[in-house]
Amino acid sequence: MKRAERLLVSVLLAVSALGATAGGSLALTGDVWSNSDSFSSRCLGFTDTYPQQLYTLAAGQMASLGYKPVGGALGPSFTRSAFLKNVFYDYAVYAHTHGDNYWAASGWPNVDSAILQDPGPTRCSSFPLDAIRSSAIKSATLGTPYNLVIMSTCSLGSSSSTMPDAFQIQKTKASTQRKFYLGYATATYDSSALRFEQAFWSYLNGAPNHARTLLQAFTYAVGLGGYAAPDSANPFQPNWWGNPNYNGTPG
Amino acid sequence: MSASISTWAIKSFVAPVAVVSCLAAFAGQSIEAGSTGAGSTPAVSEAARSAQALVTETVLNADASPEVFARAGTARDALGFPAGPARTGRHVQDGLQGSDYDQVAEVDAAGQPIAMTQFDAAGRLVAALRFDSPAGSSRKISANAASNAANLGLTAAGVTVSGQARVDASSTGEGWDVHWDRMQDDVPVRGDETRVHVWQDGRIQSLARVEHPLAPAPMRRLGEAEAQQVVFRQVAKWSVGRDSSYAVGGIDLEWVGPTRPSTRARLGRPLSRTAWRESPT
Repeated sequence: MKRAERLLVSVLLAVSALGATAGGSLALTGDVWSNSDSFSSRCLGFTDTYPQQLYTLAAGQMASLGYKPVGGALGPSFTRSAFLKNVFYDYAVYAHTHGDNYWAASGWPNVDSAILQDPGPTRCSSFPLDAIRSSAIKSATLGTPYNLVIMSTCSLGSSSSTMPDAFQIQKTKASTQRKFYLGYATATYDSSALRFEQAFWSYLNGAPNHARTLLQAFTYAVGLGGYAAPDSANPFQPNWWGNPNYNGTPG
Repeated sequence: MSASISTWAIKSFVAPVAVVSCLAAFAGQSIEAGSTGAGSTPAVSEAARSAQALVTETVLNADASPEVFARAGTARDALGFPAGPARTGRHVQDGLQGSDYDQVAEVDAAGQPIAMTQFDAAGRLVAALRFDSPAGSSRKISANAASNAANLGLTAAGVTVSGQARVDASSTGEGWDVHWDRMQDDVPVRGDETRVHVWQDGRIQSLARVEHPLAPAPMRRLGEAEAQQVVFRQVAKWSVGRDSSYAVGGIDLEWVGPTRPSTRARLGRPLSRTAWRESPT
């Protein structure tokens, strides 16, 4: 009995020490991922520089919001394994890449949205090889909450997207928790995504002390207009879910 | 910023569990050369951060800039926007968007913006929007009625448009987007438009006028057939040694801006030029 008690105390001490260490050093991490190889001249016929611009913009602005450190990767280091290994620790996640609402492994009508990792310097994007499924992301998060998630892709802001749920963000516009998801509902030019995100960040971080809300920034950016779209079936339509009064700061 | 439980509190609680799991997982594996430990994300370079352009806001007050506030009041009333108990003015040098403008916001008692107008250096209205949400209403106007409401608002605000409007139902928000695409020499300018968002109850939520500077029209314009030949030759080069094919789904003439940041930086104020746009299938 005495031996058992001593063992229990040892375990509790170990766990509390581990907890104190982890809690004390817990960073307010934001990760910014951008797929550039599938936007290279090898895959598109011309070099699309928007992935670099969107990456630089999001990384800097996320740091301005208070996320620290800001990690992630531009290009070939944006892999499925790196994304899933790091996502648990994130408070904010940004991804600029290809994205869509794919059928789940169980088949129609179940959806399991996905983003595609950077394919690396020798090939172009392929869903079977590169998909990072929302179900895999959800597993990697261990059910923990996220402050800010931006999916700068096609289609992951549509009503059928399962990506918000991967980060425990419900598709409501009346949340009272500190969470906000932003995505585009249709096929979207990355030039329009850059214009929108420049306006979004410039308004959000344009005032001191994080006085503006993410919804105000979203409303501002939408209102500025000037967003080219592929065709009439795919008008430029950013969308959001979360807390309308949240300013996007971590924690 | 109300929130029931902070994300930090929950992450802090779960983190020790995950650290234990990771330690267990690593214990069962050989060391991976070059791999980063869980949670140690590579930091974004300082160079990337320093490349961020700044947004600088300078306070404008009504005494020093009465004409800006007068324009703002006129536009606000023309568009049916709410008036707040106070107004704030700013001159914004927006390095992110590459534009300068005067901005006047109607603010509520808590200092939060409820509506805003923006004007360019010539005093022209370039954007106006309200931040509130429409109250639940059973009234749902038609696309035609939305177009009429947008026209009336533009006329009242002194904004002229020409041509046929395009009306898109919003699938993500409420209401209609009414657009007039900008045309120059009968050629559309990509992204340039006058756009009005109309709520389902017929009120205007936002107005935007986007016009990029254009280069002089080319002395000789490439014909459609000639443009297709240029594209086919280039695509043939790209396709050498690859198991890929290409078909043209459509070809349109547009004014387009430079896409490379280095080109934009070199040009200073980028000019859009005419170009054929091919849509692959």
